[in-house]
Amino acid sequence: MSEFDVIVVGAGPAGASAAIRLASNKVNVLLVDRADPPGSKNVSGGVLWGDSLGQVIPDWEKSNMLERYVEAKGVTFLTKDSKISIDFRSKKFGEYKSGYTVLRTKFDAWLAKKAKDAGAMVASGVTVDKIAMKDGKAIGVEQAGETITSDAVILAEGANSRIAYDSGLKKKPTDEKIALGVKEVIKLPEKTITERFNLTSPKMGFASEYVLGFLDGGVKAGGFLYTNKESISIGAVISMGDLRKNNQTYSFNVIEQFKDHPFIAPLIQDGRVEEYSAHLVPEGGMSVDSVYGNGYMIAGDTAGFTFSNGLVLQGMNYAIVSGIVAADSFMEKKGKGPDMNFANYGENLAKTFVMKDMKNFSGIDRVTWSETIHNTIPAIAEDAMLNIFSEDGNPKKHLSQIVLSSALKHKDKRKDLAVDLYRMIRRL
Amino acid sequence: MMKIEDRLSLLNYKIDKSYAHITVNPSICETCPDHFCTFACPAKCYTLIDEKLNFKYEDCVECGTCDTACSHGSVAWTNTKGGHGVKYKFG
Repeated sequence: MSEFDVIVVGAGPAGASAAIRLASNKVNVLLVDRADPPGSKNVSGGVLWGDSLGQVIPDWEKSNMLERYVEAKGVTFLTKDSKISIDFRSKKFGEYKSGYTVLRTKFDAWLAKKAKDAGAMVASGVTVDKIAMKDGKAIGVEQAGETITSDAVILAEGANSRIAYDSGLKKKPTDEKIALGVKEVIKLPEKTITERFNLTSPKMGFASEYVLGFLDGGVKAGGFLYTNKESISIGAVISMGDLRKNNQTYSFNVIEQFKDHPFIAPLIQDGRVEEYSAHLVPEGGMSVDSVYGNGYMIAGDTAGFTFSNGLVLQGMNYAIVSGIVAADSFMEKKGKGPDMNFANYGENLAKTFVMKDMKNFSGIDRVTWSETIHNTIPAIAEDAMLNIFSEDGNPKKHLSQIVLSSALKHKDKRKDLAVDLYRMIRRL
Repeated sequence: MMKIEDRLSLLNYKIDKSYAHITVNPSICETCPDHFCTFACPAKCYTLIDEKLNFKYEDCVECGTCDTACSHGSVAWTNTKGGHGVKYKFG
C-alpha cells in the first residue's frame, strides 16, 4: 500500500493544477516543492493566456492575485534607432479572452494554497532527488535517502529538470532547446502605468513582445514588457547558441541594452528596479521522448510545453492543461487494477491544443531565431518607413517600389530572405 | 546600465553554508578555451581572476544555464536542499 495515490513534484501551474484537480476528486495527493514558500523560485514573463485555469478554479478571474487584464497587445521590432510596432487593442478582448499578467511568487503560492484547501498535502522546502523506480515502474520519489511511495508520480519540476535528468527521463538540453530568460520587475505608481500605456483603467494592462535587432555583437534575443498593477515586468529571452557564438556579451547586460533603448527607456523612466531574476525557457517544443511511462507522467516546462512564434510567448496555459490532463489520466486508472502505465495521458494530451500546437509548430524556432526576423526584416521595415513617412522634396514612389528597393539594399541576404519568408508563412 | 552586483543585491537568499549545490572541476576549467560560463551565467557566479576561473555558488539563482553552457563537463549541478537558495519576492 503506497503512502499517497499521487505525488506531484513541483508547485508551478502544471503541478498545482494537477494537485487541485486530484484533491478535488478525493485523491490522496502530495504536492512537493523545493522552494519555501512553494513557488518562490518560479519565474515567468509573465502573462497567463486563456482561461484554462477555470477548469480547476472556476472563479479564478475574481482573484486579487492577478495583476492586469491584457487589453493591449503589442508586437514590436526594435532597431538601433527605430521602433516598428503593432499595438493591437480591442474591446473584443473581453469576449475572446486574452490574458492576465501575473507575478509568479504570489500567484504560485496562491495556487498551492488552493491545492491545500482542496485537500492536498503540500510540502515546501523539500527537494526530491529522484523518481524511485522498481522493476521499471515509478513507485514514488527519493528524498534525502528515503523513499516516499505513491501509485503515480506527476513530474512538473520546470525547465531546469534535474530530477528528469537524474532519473534518465530527459536528456540535457542542447543550445537549440533552451533559451535564457532574464527579467527585472520595476516599480512604478499604478496611475503612472495606466497613463503611460494609455490604458482604459487601472485593471487593464499592456503586454508586448519585441524582436531586439540591435544588440551588441549581433546576439539574438526577444524582449518582453508587461504591465502589472504597480510594476512593470521587463526582460529578454536570449538565444543560448548565439550567446555562445558571440562569447563576449554578458547575458545580464542584454536586458540593460533593451532597457536603454531610446524608445523603451521612457516607458520605465523613474521606475525603481525591485527584483532581478533569471530562468530557462524551453524552446522548440516537446523535450522528452515520452511524456509518460510506467507509474509517471511529465507535465509543463519539464516536457517542453511552451509556445513562441515571436508574436506571443506562452507556457503557463500549456502547463495548466497538461497538469489537469495528467490528473484526469490518473483518475481513469484509479481503482481499476495495478496497471499504471499512462499511455492514456499521451492519448488524452494529443486531443488538446497542447500536443496539437507542439506538433503543428515544430520547427518554428528556426523562424523565430532566424537572421531574417532579427535583422533583415527590421532593417527593411525601417528603411521603408523612413521613405514613406518622411518628405525629402522628391516625387513620391509606389509602396511596392519602396519595399522592393529597401529589400534590395539587403540583397546579400535575399536568398535567405526568400527561404525564410516561405518558412515563416508555412510555419507561423 | 545597472551593474549586475547592484541587481543581485536586491535578492533574498537563504544560503546553505554546508552544501554547495554546484561544483566545478578546476582541472577542466584550467584548460578551457572559451570560459563561456562567465558570459552565460546571469548571476555572475563565474568570473576570471588572473585568468583563473573563480566560481561562487552563493549568488546563484538556480536557472541551470551553466549546466548547458559548459560543454566541457566541468559543471556538476544539483538542486539546493531544504529550501535553501534564492527566494524571489515577485518571480
